[in-house]
Amino acid sequence: MSGVLVTGATTPLGRSLTRAVLDEPDRGPVLAVGLEETGFAEAEHHARLFYRSIDLRRPRDTHDLLFGPVRDLGIDTVVHAAFHRNVRDFGPHAHALHVEATRELVDLVDRHPTLERFVFLSSSSVYRIDPRRASLIAETDPLDLSPDAPAAVRDRVEADLTVCTRMGLTNARVLILRAAEILAEDVGSQLHDYLQSRLCLRPLGFDPMLNVLSLPDVTRALMLATRATTNGVFNVPGADTLPLSSAVERYGRRCIAIPGPLLAPLYRVRASMTGMEFRYDLNHRRFHFSAVLDGSRAKKLLGYEPTNPIAWPGSARAAHVEKRGGRSAGPV
Amino acid sequence: MTLAARIHRALRRAVLPAREQERLGRVEFQDAGHGFDLFGFEPDAFGASIGLGRLLHHYYFRVESHGVEHVPATGTAILAANHSGLLPVDAALIVVDVFLHTEPPRVARAIGDLFIPFMPWVGTGMNRVGMVSGTRENFRYLLEHDELCLVFPEGTPGIGKGFSKRYQLQSFRVGHAELALRHGVPIVPVAVIGAEESWVSVTRIERFHWFGAPFLPLPATPFPLPIRHHIHYGQPIRLERHFDARDADDPRVASRAAELVRERVAELITQGLALRRRHAR
Repeated sequence: MSGVLVTGATTPLGRSLTRAVLDEPDRGPVLAVGLEETGFAEAEHHARLFYRSIDLRRPRDTHDLLFGPVRDLGIDTVVHAAFHRNVRDFGPHAHALHVEATRELVDLVDRHPTLERFVFLSSSSVYRIDPRRASLIAETDPLDLSPDAPAAVRDRVEADLTVCTRMGLTNARVLILRAAEILAEDVGSQLHDYLQSRLCLRPLGFDPMLNVLSLPDVTRALMLATRATTNGVFNVPGADTLPLSSAVERYGRRCIAIPGPLLAPLYRVRASMTGMEFRYDLNHRRFHFSAVLDGSRAKKLLGYEPTNPIAWPGSARAAHVEKRGGRSAGPV
Repeated sequence: MTLAARIHRALRRAVLPAREQERLGRVEFQDAGHGFDLFGFEPDAFGASIGLGRLLHHYYFRVESHGVEHVPATGTAILAANHSGLLPVDAALIVVDVFLHTEPPRVARAIGDLFIPFMPWVGTGMNRVGMVSGTRENFRYLLEHDELCLVFPEGTPGIGKGFSKRYQLQSFRVGHAELALRHGVPIVPVAVIGAEESWVSVTRIERFHWFGAPFLPLPATPFPLPIRHHIHYGQPIRLERHFDARDADDPRVASRAAELVRERVAELITQGLALRRRHAR
């Protein structure tokens, strides 16, 4: 009976994963970890679910968690999915969570008596989008190590590489899942933030292909990884591959193309006025050039294939309007 | 549906005859879920481009097609053609010709140069009608997914060679031959006769590198001349009958394989020019 430690358990993704593990009767205990004091109301009612409020930025707390409750519960798998969801909030504290906490966890896993598997949820943002390379990004493609990469991306890349360096050198199996953009609220999705505006701006003359992932699909990929018998880096694509303009339209927003150089200052002004989290500098390359994850390795070795498309709010609304035979009146 | 998609659909309905619209519906298309494939190919945009390209094909360049039965009806294949002109008119004519004359209808996926995605509108537009940026991984993906690929192994030196070197093939790049050998894919040699005289460049500006372009050719005429084109398709070349597929990584083998393809294209050009001379008499 394998038990699972889930970090970042109070995020929508962490909750979805925790519930998915609990739904499988052959699993052992689930130890959910979050920063919030009261993370899971279900913990009081579910015999297999335990919740701990831990600040992973403190190495001593992490150590005591792993060699305390994790060892006592006989947990054998860590799913590390904790990350700062607000990309505007970066600095030493964000770096401590993204990179140092990851380093600490993967170091401790190596000498832990019960842990056998470390699953790290990385992101497709670690890849350098380069139109001179393939539109379909494989796991072997270059990472964004450019000096002009924003801090949020550099942290992601460093954490990913930190885990990569342990692969094959520890007793535990190490898996890195580089997930496509998860289009959901409160999971740090830049595209989701971008789509919250009624009017979405995109660069004139460019309409790149995007791939987006739904919460059920990333949950399923993580579930498959918790049973994996292999090490490796795996791309996790979503079921929706479409141009940026179609994504905007399907979300029920209006898309306007304007000259690319104007986008960064406009979005900076908009962010300062409205407090939105979307940062164009993080996205300017993928708003110009297609980048779709190649999931063939995950399909072959993990048995993962995306099956749950995004429930696009614009599509539902359009269908509703069509059914009534009327015209659309505005965004949802 | 986006405005662009609506325009593509309306244009496709307006310019593509009913029979071709029915054939377009039978095109093998790997929909990634929203009416586009992974590279951005969109059947409506392709249909609209075929509808417009058909007018050029039939009435402006009066293209005569020879040996199109050599294009496999199904499965992966590579079309390797000579290259010329300032814009890829030859590529457009081959794509239209293949669609109009194959049964079931096939889409030739042109493998474009790496600077094309940097060009506003052009990169996206080319993707919508089936072009794929010419990286090894993109090419490999197409070969593994039963696509018909169109390559110009001369590359940009082909379009920059000038009128005095018309129908003289430049050296061939080897990537297509290496991948064809490794994947056991047939290469169909293609000769385009007429394109090398229709839009001649008088000179080129070597220092022009906007969007990563290698140079800017300056044309003698603002539009290509309405010269009759002949497109010749040769017998498919099975490289694995000449070379061992395990040697695909050997640069000498890949080079010899590319040279074999070049010879077949050159033979086809010679035959095509002779045929054109006979027709002219």
